[in-house]
Amino acid sequence: MIEQKKMFGPLTPEATQVILESISDGVFTIDYNWEITSFNRAAEEITGICRKEAIGRHCWEVFRSNMCESECALKKTMEEGRPYVSTSAYIINSSRKKIPISVSTSLLIDKNNDVIGGVEIFRDHSLVEQLRKELSASFQVEDIVSNSNTMKKIFNILPQVSHSDATVLIEGETGTGKELLARAIHNMGPRKNRPFMAINCGALPDTLLESELFGYKKGAFTHAAKDKPGKFSLAEGGTVFLDEIGDTSPAFQVSLLRVLQEHEFTPLGGLEKEKTDVRIIAASNKDLSELMASDQFRQDLYYRINVVKLFLPPLRRRMEDVPLLVERFISKMNLRQAKLIQGIDQAVLAVLMSHSFPGNIRELENIIEHAFVLCQDGTITCEHLPGFLAGKPVSPGDTRADPVKNAQINLIADALARNNYNRNAAAKELGIHKSTLFRRIKKLGIKL
Amino acid sequence: MKLAVTVWGNRISPVFDAARTLLVAEIENKKISRQFYTSFDPQSPADMVNVLKKNQVNLLVCGAISNTFADLIADHDIQLISFVTGNTRQFLDSFAGSRTVKKIHMMPGFNHRR
Repeated sequence: MIEQKKMFGPLTPEATQVILESISDGVFTIDYNWEITSFNRAAEEITGICRKEAIGRHCWEVFRSNMCESECALKKTMEEGRPYVSTSAYIINSSRKKIPISVSTSLLIDKNNDVIGGVEIFRDHSLVEQLRKELSASFQVEDIVSNSNTMKKIFNILPQVSHSDATVLIEGETGTGKELLARAIHNMGPRKNRPFMAINCGALPDTLLESELFGYKKGAFTHAAKDKPGKFSLAEGGTVFLDEIGDTSPAFQVSLLRVLQEHEFTPLGGLEKEKTDVRIIAASNKDLSELMASDQFRQDLYYRINVVKLFLPPLRRRMEDVPLLVERFISKMNLRQAKLIQGIDQAVLAVLMSHSFPGNIRELENIIEHAFVLCQDGTITCEHLPGFLAGKPVSPGDTRADPVKNAQINLIADALARNNYNRNAAAKELGIHKSTLFRRIKKLGIKL
Repeated sequence: MKLAVTVWGNRISPVFDAARTLLVAEIENKKISRQFYTSFDPQSPADMVNVLKKNQVNLLVCGAISNTFADLIADHDIQLISFVTGNTRQFLDSFAGSRTVKKIHMMPGFNHRR
């Protein structure tokens, strides 16, 4: 009995203090002047304000919650004399970070049952919020986000690729993010503090391309009034990204091969060779091995640049990324255009999921940008979409109203088309057994 | 110089992100020459920036502010003094004269952030 009394008897003020200091919930008390009278250790940690500074200050100066001005739970408790439990809110700490919290309030009553103020208990939900985000999202490397397994494989090898000095060849359709991937490789590697220079080889004729890359000397041609360094000089120690390398002429390919082999080049009109220390990342929207087979691309250059090859799948092969990318573009444009668009409605998602995106991620970004022009606030609806998409009505009974089902249909139909409607070959490409493919074709009502 | 202060009654709003009223004031010869109140909604950042721009505000004074809004204000070339607290009138009189924020008008935990 004596032991039990020791354990469960009335708590001394010291014991109460120990308990308050041990719990992970923030607790503070106020008097009738709304001034803080006690502030526990967890409250210090969550708000970033030490007890010494907090005590004696008005609670709203310390707590800094979105509820303080209009929905103060403590005020309601003090006015109505009843507790409030688990109200969701956020506070802003001293580092300007928004911290999601839940709040409970009650009256502070002394041993004579007199109300002497109020008590507020708050719990930091940052970790829960972070875990929720991690669960719902996605793999992310630098500025590239994806839910797709193909992209995950690329993300997994990216650290090793970045830290090597090997030449990288990125293949993928236009708008798949080849330059973004090249930048990610540069930013994750040891050359990150040196320049990243990108050039679109397909957009320039040979002479211009050579002067852009190698630079020129004064007097090299009529308007060359002074020396101009090229990308290889400007990017010294960094990375040169050669986009659309498959569109270059055989003559330029010879010049480039020499730079790759000898790590030196001669500026136009120059007599002396200059050394260069740059990493080369090349990209093409064409299959370079096919170009090589048809003698449109030099074999020796192909093998020189194809040390590490990364293939970026088109968006139609990773439709699961569409919602994630839409969310990403909306956040970016909200910030850039000072808007607060909430997202897209289900009908818009269905329309997007039924589109084949020949322009890939760039096309999706343009679609969202178009919608941003027309949508002032709230949610993007079909009427905000560009004409070529808005003309695709989606009724609730339509299969396109179900984005997941629609994505499955697209995936299977595309695989069948690519394999001349050979079901065995399509099943193999999709990585499923042919009987599974047959079953899905039937279930989804795909007409062959 | 034109400045705007987010207000809550006669006080500076504790949290900019949840504030609803703006006091726009003009300082001339170390005194407040004229002032008026206007409502705004920070949840619509475009409106909020428009209100500040329309009123040619070049300094915003507020209580706690999240990074998102602080960055947005900086993007529009508006100077920001945050984590300010206390009676609005007293703050304005003091600031108009000295162009500095006195310690009694700084929120606890304030780390001289602008």
